[in-house]
Amino acid sequence: MLNSLLVEDDIKATLLETALKAHQFNILKTHYSAAFLKFVQETRPDLLIFNLRSPSEALLADIQTLNQKSPLPVIMFTLDGRHETLQKAMQAEISAFVVDGLDSQRINSIIQIGLARFKQQQILKHALDEALTQLEDRKQIDRAKAILIKTQNYTEDVAYHTLRKLAMDRNITLGEMAKNVIAMADLLK
Amino acid sequence: MKTFIKVIEIWIPDQERTQLEFGSGLYGAFTEFKAASTQQTFAYDEGLPGKAWAQGHPIVLTRFEHSYFKRIDEAQKAGLTCGIAIPIFAGEFLLAVVVFLCGDDEENVCAIEVWCNDTLKGDALSVMDGYYGALEPFEQISRKMSLAKGDGIPGMVWKTGMPMLVEDISKISGSTRSIDAQAAGITTGLGIPIINHHGKVYIMTFLSAKAAPIAKRIQIWIPDPLGKQLICQQGYSKNSNNLAEIFETTTVRKGEGALGRVWLTGLPVISGSQVREYNPELSDLSSMLAIPVIEQASLKAIVTFLF
Repeated sequence: MLNSLLVEDDIKATLLETALKAHQFNILKTHYSAAFLKFVQETRPDLLIFNLRSPSEALLADIQTLNQKSPLPVIMFTLDGRHETLQKAMQAEISAFVVDGLDSQRINSIIQIGLARFKQQQILKHALDEALTQLEDRKQIDRAKAILIKTQNYTEDVAYHTLRKLAMDRNITLGEMAKNVIAMADLLK
Repeated sequence: MKTFIKVIEIWIPDQERTQLEFGSGLYGAFTEFKAASTQQTFAYDEGLPGKAWAQGHPIVLTRFEHSYFKRIDEAQKAGLTCGIAIPIFAGEFLLAVVVFLCGDDEENVCAIEVWCNDTLKGDALSVMDGYYGALEPFEQISRKMSLAKGDGIPGMVWKTGMPMLVEDISKISGSTRSIDAQAAGITTGLGIPIINHHGKVYIMTFLSAKAAPIAKRIQIWIPDPLGKQLICQQGYSKNSNNLAEIFETTTVRKGEGALGRVWLTGLPVISGSQVREYNPELSDLSSMLAIPVIEQASLKAIVTFLF
């Protein structure tokens, strides 16, 4: 059962709440305020659902901050379909942005698509981070090897094996060891 | 691993060579103290660096309160309690002053001493100045002692005119002070000849326990017999560091890199990252102080303190 934090302009509105309950969501309902990020940190929901006439800039900025630190699926129902708002919603990495489409028959499928999209986005993000780290490590390893080749007259093969042995002795990755070799060489620069 | 030295500064004569200005420094997390220091200048005989310049020998200042130290409030705020100033001279002309600032007295088994000879008293070495932290009995013994040329670390440094790093002081034979030092918990000793001018000799010793070494690694580099390149004579740290050992097999030509610059200019150098956090798991070394040992305007050795 997913815990959802529901943020609505109209606290008395029941359409979303009823539909979510019907699909077995736990709901915590609140208004948006300046303490929103703190509230999310404290309540730790599994997803955020908004039903707002127009999301404020402050809210979109908060969602962006949240997604940079600890990403969550965010579903937004709104009446505001302006290009500018859509752009900011994209930047904030909102998983589903639905303009004037609050229909009790479609709510569950929209949320499920939003959740699936969020999951897919996270997989892609993770893969990108890993690829960037590997690329950075590769650069550092090449630099460290070049240092060992230059200062120790090693062949490329010996430099690589030396680096690997140093890393194994310390039980750290090759990339981390390469950074240490570069730092050590920097001292003598 | 904690080291006893918290802050290192290099003060150099300004363009007119009438006062000392900030050269470089290692301040670690002491950013406020750094901010209070980098704009500072010291006239001849002013503050700790200026005094070392005027007196012409190393100084150990064990208390900042009511002293000539100029940054007392900032030092107290940073928990710095003791200062050591080492002037680097070429003959009678000052090249730079290296200042060490230390803290955490009660926790450290550590002593820093300045030994000098007194030609009127049979030319033996005695303690002129020293910081001993909590090692009071060892201080009393050391201050009463006089050492002949060749005796103990100070005497051996005097005899050879070279820096000396003793990894295990229990292995110094025939030295009664080494037994007293061991009893005080001291395991490692470093001696550096600072000045040898017109028969007056000043030698510094850094004595420390394994738990709180003077630096994470200490090296002694010397010019090879042909005077063409520097070779590492000795390197020591509490834990073995095979990365540092690899770099200690390299040779350094005059003017090449940080050590080569020390040889070329006769000036101490601080190099490396000022901000990188030390990771004790990796035994990594991210900054270095290199001090030249100069005799008769020639480089005899370079002592490096790696952090």
